[in-house]
Amino acid sequence: MAAAIVSNLDDQFRDRMALSRTAGGPWRAAWTRLRQDRWSLVALAVLAAIVLAGLFGGAIVGRVVGHNGSDPFPYATNADLRPAGPWTHVPTTRAVLVDDYGRLLPPKQGQTTLFVLGADGPLGRDELIRLLDGARTSLEIGLGGVIFALLVALPIGTLAGYFGGVADAVVSRFTETVMAFPLLLFLIFATARVSPSLRGIAFGWVVPKGVFGEALLIGAFTSFYPTRLIRAHLRTLRNAEFVEASHMIGASNHRIMRRHLLPHVASTLLVWGAIAVGTNILLDVGLSFIGVGVPPAAPTWGSLLSTTWGTINAPHPYNGHYFTPWQTIFPTLAILITVISLNQLSEGVRRALEPWAQG
Amino acid sequence: MRRLLAYMGRRLAAGFLTLFGAIALTFLVYWAIPTKPATYVYPDASSITPAQAAHANHLLGLDRPKVVQYVDYLSHLLRGDLGHQWSGTRLIENTQLSQRPVGDVLYPDLRITLSIILGGAVLVLLLAVPFGTFAGSRVGSWSDRTISLVALIGICTHPMVVGLILEGTFGHLRTFRIAGYCPLVPDRGSLCGGLADWSTHLILPWITFALLFLALYTRMIRLSVAETLHEDYVRTARAKGAGESRVLAFHVLPSASLRVLTMIGMEIGTAIGVAIYIEAAFGIRGLGRLSVVAMTGTNDALDLPLILAVVSIVTVIVVVGNLLVDLLYAVLDPRAGRETVRPRTKSLAGGVF
Repeated sequence: MAAAIVSNLDDQFRDRMALSRTAGGPWRAAWTRLRQDRWSLVALAVLAAIVLAGLFGGAIVGRVVGHNGSDPFPYATNADLRPAGPWTHVPTTRAVLVDDYGRLLPPKQGQTTLFVLGADGPLGRDELIRLLDGARTSLEIGLGGVIFALLVALPIGTLAGYFGGVADAVVSRFTETVMAFPLLLFLIFATARVSPSLRGIAFGWVVPKGVFGEALLIGAFTSFYPTRLIRAHLRTLRNAEFVEASHMIGASNHRIMRRHLLPHVASTLLVWGAIAVGTNILLDVGLSFIGVGVPPAAPTWGSLLSTTWGTINAPHPYNGHYFTPWQTIFPTLAILITVISLNQLSEGVRRALEPWAQG
Repeated sequence: MRRLLAYMGRRLAAGFLTLFGAIALTFLVYWAIPTKPATYVYPDASSITPAQAAHANHLLGLDRPKVVQYVDYLSHLLRGDLGHQWSGTRLIENTQLSQRPVGDVLYPDLRITLSIILGGAVLVLLLAVPFGTFAGSRVGSWSDRTISLVALIGICTHPMVVGLILEGTFGHLRTFRIAGYCPLVPDRGSLCGGLADWSTHLILPWITFALLFLALYTRMIRLSVAETLHEDYVRTARAKGAGESRVLAFHVLPSASLRVLTMIGMEIGTAIGVAIYIEAAFGIRGLGRLSVVAMTGTNDALDLPLILAVVSIVTVIVVVGNLLVDLLYAVLDPRAGRETVRPRTKSLAGGVF
């Protein structure tokens, strides 16, 4: 009898919980607040547009202009291999005409194809399509790095923050020490060693070759930050009254973490993740400049920049004659817009989730 | 004072532990990678016989127990001896080796990179403090937004691109001499040197360095100032009739400076990472370039002593830099000696480079 009453109460409670969640849990309230934040909505729209452009833009533009991002066009560069500028009609021929002295001859009159943002370098590929394809690869690296970092950080951070003790001491000393080091150097070392063996993993062309390995390594080497965030957060929450109350009614550690603590940490991690996607994209730019980034078959915004400026072993010095500003401006602008939008969104999410916090 | 000394003693011990740990880790990683040191001893051999490999290992001291190698390396390191490079080894009469000391390569490179980082850091602080304070005391205004936007542009443009553009532009105008590096204290046989040559050669690398870190520090100081302005003691200072500039200079900035100091300590490593690109952009052969060369070789051509030396030097820089920061922190903030650990934060963009 008593058990039946308790079970009945339990059901009622559960129903009410379900109701309150649909009527306005913390996430819904945050979404309502976010919707009133004009600039964050703009940022969200811009990011959605970038994702869509990355997924479908290259294919659509390719269909419209009639070539794709990996087709080389010899006549998209001049005789000195300087790539054609934006809005150039380029002869479609793949055959190069040279005279008896090996000098480039003008192509026969015929079909031309439009290079909206010009060509990408000596190979004469379409910069616009590579930029759009690069959006996909760069975002995959950014998001993949965040996901891998969280996979490392969640168990370790929880272990240190929730259980404390020796595990906490070890984890916090280790992360503190490692974070002070030039992680870039370690990342270069690891990428140069491990990437070639991870390069083949592409999950049946779901991601381009090399993306998985790079995201994995970036994730591993940036996981210290979320680990410390989770640890710090759980340490303050561990002794909160609602956690004590859950302990008292007999909830297991697992349940407390999943039902009560994870939602709190999730908001912090969401804010971190939005910024980390941007920093991972910048990290990929750096790796491209070192020459250990994603192989050039799949363009990233980083490899577009490094085609123009060379790698650190062979930098292309600035030369007024060959200077092609659009090759720098467009990828940099793409990165800038993405990073600014992610920053704005993360700021908006922070304000929406914790409206009581300052700023 | 005694408390301060005890505190510094603990930090120093922690620093040594970090150094030994980092070197142990490098040794471990290194033994996990199959390398062929014999190819350095017999550069002309088309294939290495087992006897040659064993002989090379004996001459290089690699046949000793691994613990002995580690302790031996540490004891040499504490005397400032970074060991001998494998590349450039010559075999003399099949019984001894002539090797180049790593220090001969490393110390000049280190001097160059430290020149870039220290000069750049001074430039960053000279500019970031006024900009950050200005923006932080007017959060939400147009000037604040402009400064924040320019800061984001600074973060998003890669130092390599900035460096190459600066080099090209100013090289074209012939304003600054841009090629290479001139030592501050000229050696015998160096073509140029002295303060004027040193600074004109380094001004563009400093600007490149500053453009990135200026963005990070301006944002950091801005946030710090904006938060501190809400504190009760700032209100008290205002109530006592202190002018706005006095409040900023004497009440807000000291508290903001503690956070800046913490950030400097955490980002010494980042600065060394950024130096890689700056050196590449300006064709300077410094520590960054050396470490990339050491770390990106193929498995057969990895030079263990060089990598160990790079790791050791970088660790020493990071540890010494953090000790200085700890010391300054303890002097500026009287609570620091009492607390076991000072708060350690790192700018989010610290993950970038």
